[in-house]
Amino acid sequence: MRTIFTIARNDLFIFFKQPGNWVSVVVIPLLLTLGLGWAFGVGEDSGPEKINADLVIPVETAATQRFVTRLHAVNGSLRLCPMDNDAENACNLEDGQAIPTVDQALLRVQNGRTAALIVLPPDFATEREQAIDNSSPIAYYSLEDPTLPSPILQSAQTVVQELNGTDVAEYAGMALVDLFDELAEQEGQTLFADAAARENFAATYRTALVRRMENQPELVNFTATAPMSEDTTLQGFEQAVPGMGAMFVMFTVLAGMAVLRRERSDWTLQRTAVAPVSRAQILAGKAGAYFVLGMVQFLVIFTVGAAVGIPLGRNAPALLAVMAAFVLCITGLTFALAPHMRTIGQAANLERLISLTLAPLGGAWWPLAIVPPFMRTIGHISPVAWAMDAFQKIIWFNGGLQDILLELGVLLGAAAVLFGIGVAAFRIDA
Amino acid sequence: MADNGAAPMILTEHLTKTYPNRGGKPIEAVKNVNLTVERGEIFSLLGPNGAGKTTTISMISGLIKPTAGDAFIGGHSITREPMAAKQLMGFVPQEVALYPQLSARQNLVFFGKLYGHYGAELQRRVDEVLAFIDLTDRQKDRIETFSGGMKRRVNIGVGLLHKPDLIYMDEPTVGIDPQNRRRILDTVKQLRDEQGMTVLYTTHMMEEAQELSDRVAIIDHGEIIALGTQGELTQQVGGQDQLELTIDGAGWSEELISTLEQQVKGVSRVQYLPPDEAALDGGIGLTGKLNVFVGQGRRALPDVIELLNRAGVDVQSVKVQEPDLEAVFLALTGRALRD
Ligand SMILES: Nc1ncnc2c1ncn2[C@@H]1O[C@H](COP(=O)(O)OP(=O)(O)OP(=O)(O)O)[C@@H](O)[C@H]1O
Ligand SMILES: [Mg+2]
Repeated sequence: MRTIFTIARNDLFIFFKQPGNWVSVVVIPLLLTLGLGWAFGVGEDSGPEKINADLVIPVETAATQRFVTRLHAVNGSLRLCPMDNDAENACNLEDGQAIPTVDQALLRVQNGRTAALIVLPPDFATEREQAIDNSSPIAYYSLEDPTLPSPILQSAQTVVQELNGTDVAEYAGMALVDLFDELAEQEGQTLFADAAARENFAATYRTALVRRMENQPELVNFTATAPMSEDTTLQGFEQAVPGMGAMFVMFTVLAGMAVLRRERSDWTLQRTAVAPVSRAQILAGKAGAYFVLGMVQFLVIFTVGAAVGIPLGRNAPALLAVMAAFVLCITGLTFALAPHMRTIGQAANLERLISLTLAPLGGAWWPLAIVPPFMRTIGHISPVAWAMDAFQKIIWFNGGLQDILLELGVLLGAAAVLFGIGVAAFRIDA
Repeated sequence: MADNGAAPMILTEHLTKTYPNRGGKPIEAVKNVNLTVERGEIFSLLGPNGAGKTTTISMISGLIKPTAGDAFIGGHSITREPMAAKQLMGFVPQEVALYPQLSARQNLVFFGKLYGHYGAELQRRVDEVLAFIDLTDRQKDRIETFSGGMKRRVNIGVGLLHKPDLIYMDEPTVGIDPQNRRRILDTVKQLRDEQGMTVLYTTHMMEEAQELSDRVAIIDHGEIIALGTQGELTQQVGGQDQLELTIDGAGWSEELISTLEQQVKGVSRVQYLPPDEAALDGGIGLTGKLNVFVGQGRRALPDVIELLNRAGVDVQSVKVQEPDLEAVFLALTGRALRD
């Protein structure tokens, strides 16, 4: 045990004796994490984001006016373009496009300037009697996945149902009133003094209906939920800290490939091996050193997270478990590959190649939630993806150890396999 | 089994190492080497580049596994009891096997700990070794700031730290200046004479083997082709001294050859190179060159000179060439050591 400790300590001592290593383990990771954390957070500090939807109204009427009002009421996060455009051109309108035509608006959908296009028919909500048989539908265009729920479409449908509901109720109510009126007349009585009185009643009834419809107690009222951290810059760091942590752990630990290669050419490894020290002790000492380096790297970057206010203390044991499992996995990878390095240069290149591939693939640079599903699946060949999943569960969803067992299992399983390969292939000769 | 002091320091049995060779026939780096190195002797392994010296040392230090055979260090099999065997040996690799980023002292301390020395005792040993290699005043400097000779001295120091019974030195003087080389050779002799250490020394330099060793094994293409004291080895190839004389060609006559062969005791052969041939062989002007092969050159020299003077031949310079390991190697392989 003492020998293992001596070997690990010596490796760490040599590592931290070199000023360049301080730069690559502390300075660069800190700068990159801070930069990326702020970059991700910028522009979102005006509260929850609004979603653009173009609305084309060929003929403006009181009914179309009501449609717009109700749409806003039903979903506060809709920005209807062009009418809701602001000074910063949140609608992304081009010059001279004060009111886009249907064709222009379609283009806007296609190039992502707006999430959806709603076109009201010219005869929107004219006389109901006419509309029943030959109503033209509201047209809806979007790049959205038709199998997934769409907030814009759902809001539009809610409004239409509300309007139609009002109509149906009014029709049914007035039909009943007219029936009673007829019955009363047969008895020589009358419900309404004159036609004006009936109209008056109808208007009052309608107002009551509308009020009821617009204040349905069962209406699903969507409120954009505030994220766990109120400060939106925090959201940037909640991605950047674990992401950069995982990436720099790979850089730091995989650099061990070059160090091991160098120790073989310099004969320091051979000199260690001719001492009365077993192969297992050498391996344990070296692996121990890289495990500690990886954990130090994670802690350096997570210190940034703690400093900007991510509440990391909440689930510290779970966080440490993920870090340890990921570092073990990468240490295993280092030892599995190191015996095959022919030159120090080759080892250094491979270190960069692996880190710069596995990091973005596994969601260290941006959340995997925003990539296409198949890329998300492929991404999980990267241990980074499993670590990021676990970090998200802990940091975003306040999860504990019991929530990350799958991720821990995958990382530790991979570590075991890689260490197995590394131990079998470990070589001492130059 | 403890080191009982009776077993030879090193004993190898059919030690063999074969490296697989992609596409070609396997490289037989060491073939069936059987050696016995006694306690307290300096034993040299002399051979040209690629002869298999480092491979042999690597096997008997437990660094690489023999393809066949075994080695016993103080009676402990290096393959079956490596820990006991390794504790007895110190190792000075051919490369400067030191951490360049660490100071001389830090290197000594680290490797000392690997041999189980800690604390005040370790510090005392480090101080001793630093004094022995004469680097006490530079001990805090990083190895990468050292000269080649200083690095070599630290390289040796690390091997001595745990006061081993046996030390391997694999070409410890390679690539350094004559002054530092002198120092290292003196150190090696000191280790044997003052500390009773057994030294296994490898070199491709005949002069070093000649100066240091009690016994020499000549290795070539992985095989031991000769083994013994220097006297034994030169005898083995029928070693004769050679007198090289530069003479004034004017007084020379061919009859002198037979006169020399008959009248001087021990002379076996006389060879004369006239001025034009001698010029090709390094002679100058009108001087010829006379080579006299004789059993004991120094004893025959006065007679040869007197005989030549009487015949009126002017001797301008004389060199006595005694047979050496170079000559042995040449006789055994038909090649020079330095090829
Ligand atoms: N790992 C290896 N793989 C294949 N061949 C090897 C290996 N190590 C050594 N050899 C070969 O074995 C032979 C002996 O090499 P070795 O290093 O023992 O020679 P040496 O006597 O120490 O030479 P030098 O004086 O140059 O140090 C050489 O032909 C060398 O190429
Ligand atoms: Mg060698």
